[in-house]
Amino acid sequence: METKDRKQLDSLLTDLAVDQLDPVDTGKLRDILKENPEAVDVYLEHSTLEAWLRSDEWIAEPVDGKIVSLSEGPVFDQAAGTKSRPYGAVAAIAAVLIAMAAFAFWKSGDEGAERSSALALAKPETKRPKKSVVAQKEIYPLSDKHPALSGNGNVRGGVPEEIDHLPETVGYNRHVRALLSENCFFCHGPDGNKRKAELRLDQREGALDSIQPGSPEESELVARLFSTDPDEMMPPPDSGRHLTDNDRKLLKRWVEQGAEYEEHWALVGPVEKKFESPGKDQWPTNGIDFFVKANLDAEGLHPSPEAEKATLIRRISLDLTGLAPTPAEVKAFVKDEGEGAYEKLVDRLLASNHYGEQMALPWLDATRYADSNGFQQDGDRHSYIWRDWVVKAYNDNMPFDQFTIEQLAGDLLENPTQSQLIATSFNRNHMLNGEGGAIAEEQRNNVVFDRVDTVSTIWLGLTLACSQCHDHKYDPLSQKEYYQFFAYFNNMPETGKVDTRLGRLQYGKPVLKIASAEQEANEKQMVKDQGKNKGIITKAKAEIDKAAEAWWDAGVDPKKVQTKLKPVIGRKFATLDGYNDRYVREEFLRQTSNAGWKKAQTEVDRLTKALEKLRNEMKTVMVAEERADIRPTHILDRGDYESPLDQVQPGIPAALHELPEGAPANRLGLAKWLVSPENSLTARVIVNRYWQQFFGIGLVKTTEDFGVQGEDPSHPELLDWLAVEFVRSGWDVKHLHRLIVTSSTYRQSSRFTDELRKSDPENRMLARGARFRLPSMVIRDQALQFAGLLKPEVGGEPVYPYQPEGLWHEFSYEKFRYTPDHGDKLYRRSLYTFWRRTVGPPNTFDAANRQVCMVRSKRTNTPLHALITLNDPTYVEAARVWAENLASEKLDNPVQFAFRKATGRDGTPEEIATLESARQKALDHFSSHNEEAVKLLAVGEYPKKKDLDPVEVASLTHLTQLILNLDEVLNRE
Amino acid sequence: MNPVFERNLRQTRRQLFSTAGTGLGAAALASLMGESVTAQTKAGDGGLPGFPNFAAKAKRVIYLAQGGAPSHVDLFDWKPGLAAKYGEQLPDSVRMGQRLTTMTANQKTLPMLPAIRPFKQYGDCGRWLSTLIPHTGSIADDICVVNSMHTEAINHAPGMTFFLTGSQIPGRPSMGAWLSYGLGNASENLPSFVVMTSRDRENSCGQLFFDYYWGSGFIPSKHQGVQFRGTGDPVMYLSNPNGVDRSLRRTLLDDLAKMNEMKLADYGDPEIETRMTQYEMAYRMQTSVPELTDINTEPKHILDMYGPDVQRKGSFARNCLIARRLAERGTRFIQLMHAGWDQHNNLPTQLEIQCRDTDQPAAALVKDLKQRGLLEDTLVIFGGEFGRTPFGQGDIKNKQKHGRDHHGRCFSLWMAGGGVNAGTQYGKTDDYAFNVAENPVHVHDFQATLLHALGIDHEKLTYRFQGRRFRLTDVHGKVIKELLKG
Repeated sequence: METKDRKQLDSLLTDLAVDQLDPVDTGKLRDILKENPEAVDVYLEHSTLEAWLRSDEWIAEPVDGKIVSLSEGPVFDQAAGTKSRPYGAVAAIAAVLIAMAAFAFWKSGDEGAERSSALALAKPETKRPKKSVVAQKEIYPLSDKHPALSGNGNVRGGVPEEIDHLPETVGYNRHVRALLSENCFFCHGPDGNKRKAELRLDQREGALDSIQPGSPEESELVARLFSTDPDEMMPPPDSGRHLTDNDRKLLKRWVEQGAEYEEHWALVGPVEKKFESPGKDQWPTNGIDFFVKANLDAEGLHPSPEAEKATLIRRISLDLTGLAPTPAEVKAFVKDEGEGAYEKLVDRLLASNHYGEQMALPWLDATRYADSNGFQQDGDRHSYIWRDWVVKAYNDNMPFDQFTIEQLAGDLLENPTQSQLIATSFNRNHMLNGEGGAIAEEQRNNVVFDRVDTVSTIWLGLTLACSQCHDHKYDPLSQKEYYQFFAYFNNMPETGKVDTRLGRLQYGKPVLKIASAEQEANEKQMVKDQGKNKGIITKAKAEIDKAAEAWWDAGVDPKKVQTKLKPVIGRKFATLDGYNDRYVREEFLRQTSNAGWKKAQTEVDRLTKALEKLRNEMKTVMVAEERADIRPTHILDRGDYESPLDQVQPGIPAALHELPEGAPANRLGLAKWLVSPENSLTARVIVNRYWQQFFGIGLVKTTEDFGVQGEDPSHPELLDWLAVEFVRSGWDVKHLHRLIVTSSTYRQSSRFTDELRKSDPENRMLARGARFRLPSMVIRDQALQFAGLLKPEVGGEPVYPYQPEGLWHEFSYEKFRYTPDHGDKLYRRSLYTFWRRTVGPPNTFDAANRQVCMVRSKRTNTPLHALITLNDPTYVEAARVWAENLASEKLDNPVQFAFRKATGRDGTPEEIATLESARQKALDHFSSHNEEAVKLLAVGEYPKKKDLDPVEVASLTHLTQLILNLDEVLNRE
Repeated sequence: MNPVFERNLRQTRRQLFSTAGTGLGAAALASLMGESVTAQTKAGDGGLPGFPNFAAKAKRVIYLAQGGAPSHVDLFDWKPGLAAKYGEQLPDSVRMGQRLTTMTANQKTLPMLPAIRPFKQYGDCGRWLSTLIPHTGSIADDICVVNSMHTEAINHAPGMTFFLTGSQIPGRPSMGAWLSYGLGNASENLPSFVVMTSRDRENSCGQLFFDYYWGSGFIPSKHQGVQFRGTGDPVMYLSNPNGVDRSLRRTLLDDLAKMNEMKLADYGDPEIETRMTQYEMAYRMQTSVPELTDINTEPKHILDMYGPDVQRKGSFARNCLIARRLAERGTRFIQLMHAGWDQHNNLPTQLEIQCRDTDQPAAALVKDLKQRGLLEDTLVIFGGEFGRTPFGQGDIKNKQKHGRDHHGRCFSLWMAGGGVNAGTQYGKTDDYAFNVAENPVHVHDFQATLLHALGIDHEKLTYRFQGRRFRLTDVHGKVIKELLKG
């Protein structure tokens, strides 16, 4: 194989291996495999498919002795039929291999074995496939499956799976867009600056320059596609892009059929599909199930039975409140056989204060909430006031449109309340660079960039950030439109830097002070007094410096100076830098015999401390504000703040619905536009993210990208129905959540069947309930809950639970030492753990980094997670305290009791026996290692229960540790 | 994941592409048995098919990232003519409107400040280097000094982020993560990407270490760097709780596995299997990692090479030695981050201290690798996020208190081993060490070259996210072939 081809093959296989092969590349790979036996070798090296091919199991006798040919194979017939949908890479490759096998057989059967080279590479000569009907079914049972089952990048795909078979009707959205997008738009797309030959193919109007609808022969586009002249052919040979024969034929047919364009689905408003109300004894409970069932029926799949009640209550309690149900709650629910028992449970959970906490978590991730500024200085901020606002808004079931408007533009509402002003702190969740040399204007621009990225991702699901430097390569978003959007956020009286430093508290204006009149008056007085005393010192600076130098150079007693100065003791005053000489001067003043100076310094010290304390008590929230004189916004060349081009006015991209007449050109106008019913994106994007929360994966998997390069919805009609319903309900979030969790779809058992494990491991078809690992914060809260340690208060200042010593110190410089809290604050919900942006809580994992906007949930499975839940003192202490509780309750069967508490269900006899034996082993171990038991029970500062046998408690701790690490307990299932 | 191949993927690709790249993964068996590099070459797999794209000169990288920006003027970029220009204003014709940080933007004059210590020629190649770094001088024939680096960043965090992730804005995958993703793990028994941090003892400058310097951005988080810490457990939460010994932990894991097996039989969720494997790996790490970071087995003459600081946990010297131990065991990307080079106003006092902390260990690392035959395929890099202004900041007449501001228009770094053209120098700056005069090397070029040394075409190593293919070098970067041998 030529190096060039080999490189291309490698790159395609790479994509395949990491599930990144898009439909266009699928076509390429398919062609290469079809044409090149060596490529098949290479492919097989990377796959155990080889073993499958080498085995005889899949080779069945021909049906009616009929030989399957390329054009007649049932595979392809089926695929070419009306139900055919693009499937993605693997099915296609499997199809190729089958095709080769069939082809080889046909050839060898007809014309002799020498023609069977392709097969020979895939399979030893001796056993040739004779027929493949059965085989096909076994090898790729998906040939007729729903596109969501492909799970490969774009569901939509643009490539028909069949070989040399074209769909009867070529659809733009279904077949053409992805091909053009991947191969043509880079030079002939929305980006006006990079556009070549002034040809634009993403819009019909422009494309007609090269297309004669209905007449492929007269269409320049078709001629170029089929040209073999390197100077003529498209895409050009050096572009790295490649169309397969089939792609070309497909495009030709599309031209033949009139070259109709369709708008990208997400840019067309949701259409509500009507459905018949399900009968009472039918599986569907509500609209969700109707759409899910329709898809399952089409695939010949069946919904799973409802989950056991104990499983269900644990699932829904964790989903809605982030807390496990208590054994009493489980018992009551399991016993309640009355009608509507489940609905009652849902209502209770939706009304819980913990609902708001649980819903706030993903919102905080998306909005990059943190308790510090990030970057070098990483000063603290009082953002938690806003965090509490979010929790309360969810608990009060604030309609989502209001939730949006208040956060984006609460300050612009008429007579805004304090709460509405606090809400606007959303706009200030960005990082803030307090670094010495930072150029404020550059930083300020970065802040606005970040804001645009966050807002466009959270509400619109658009990668607007791609247009910061150039027109978007794929979506109809120009660079100019980017800066028009940018202009909405570019008018705050902010500097881009830290304006105020109060010890660790550091913030940039504008801010909202939350203070009483008395506090305000106190502050004013203190500032005045401090100024007076500082004045005394400044006035005598020359004199003081001289005296301080003499004092310092004569040698000082290390015990009598502050720690900061210790490293420089012995150095001459003149050699000290700007920081240290200041400290020496202050130290001198504190110790001087000049009473006037000494008093002034003492007062300054006292007032500095008092002011810091007062100002920390007063609370300062960074909020949004609008400048009276509008700051002009320019297009920035390549996104460089120093290279302004044309000035632009606030506005929204033309591809999205229009701003209403007279809408104000500010954040308020934008916020109202975002939640106007005409917006095709917001409701879908939001509904999709909530879906992700309850099912682990969105209906649109790429929750962050609804653009043309994002994934199409697995259930477009369901997504639209939910979006319409959400808006119709008045953006009622609890209504939406109730709808989701009361659906039969949600209530299914999450067991995998063999069939589903094979055909739909990601559960995109929703033929079972979702099973996924809990967020790490919920895992911690749950452990505290089982131990009876959890302090359930809602809201308030961030807390500092245990973390490994020295961690902050290693990351920060000198300033930040982590001082863990004591007592109750160690056991607050993880939501309240102080989040330092440079070093987040070390025992969380797969969490968003709270630096930039993240909306897709991540779930990995690594040894580092195991180390946390096994060894982190938080978990060990929880296990220990839980064990003490078990021991002191003198239970008959502590093992069953503990297991039930954690899982909600009774353990099977085998499970209980295993746990019992684990405890027994630990009991034996600790009986002969008393001192070890004592050590284990000393973990954590929670007071030990007295009068318990340490060996017994230690053995129970072993048990509870084991339970806390059970897969079932780490998951919601 | 694709259903048809779900089984294959679980059985082969998951092993090939996932397990091996799992950060600490199986940091266990071979390291316990003292398995060496020779063994890891055959164990090596887990990368993407087709990677490396061509024969690699380097198999691993030790990146000695110097945070705070070492002064190229004082250390690497010899400008004999500058001495005569002491105190002269930087000509506007040289500055060409270059922006300055806020720390010097308002300074009235920009007086030229020649290197504060003499330079001399080192090695057979006669490389001019500062006498502040004699140990680096002693490896002059093993290194290639690049004098024509340049970057757009002028502040530390964005600058370092740019170097390590290809973007000034945090959130992109870092170099080590890209390599773990592309090349997998060279050994089944070690993390593919390890990070260690150190700082100057006096904490003279305020460089922070951000976890996104070794983050995985949008590529799977198993590729992110695993930080070995200087205090406490080398990896967080590595030790068993007090009172739990290894045998007891073993029984716990055995019983846990039994329980999870039952769950698996009932639910059939493949993630359960993966979790069981990860718990086992965690268990093995508990011995392999401490073994790795324990330097007691090193003979005295080796310890002496790295200097007295090697005895201090968390020092740059200690980290250099551990880096060698990791390299021996096949770790792909070893990122040492040392802070303390930000001499705005204490150049005369602090630069020397900084050199003392880093010069000897870095040189010792190169020599130590060389004497073990490891330098050939280990690429060592020493450099900061940018350079420092050739003009002074503050009052340059004040003998103790002055310094230099940040400078991205040109700066220097050195590379050794891994196919680097040893004993050479590349690129030139103007007479003021202010602008690149010849053969500029942009940060993206440097990254492309680094990937090239590892056998990777930087345009090929991509990851699809938000609808487009991202890569370390964004849409830029060209390989500087002259930096590498033939």
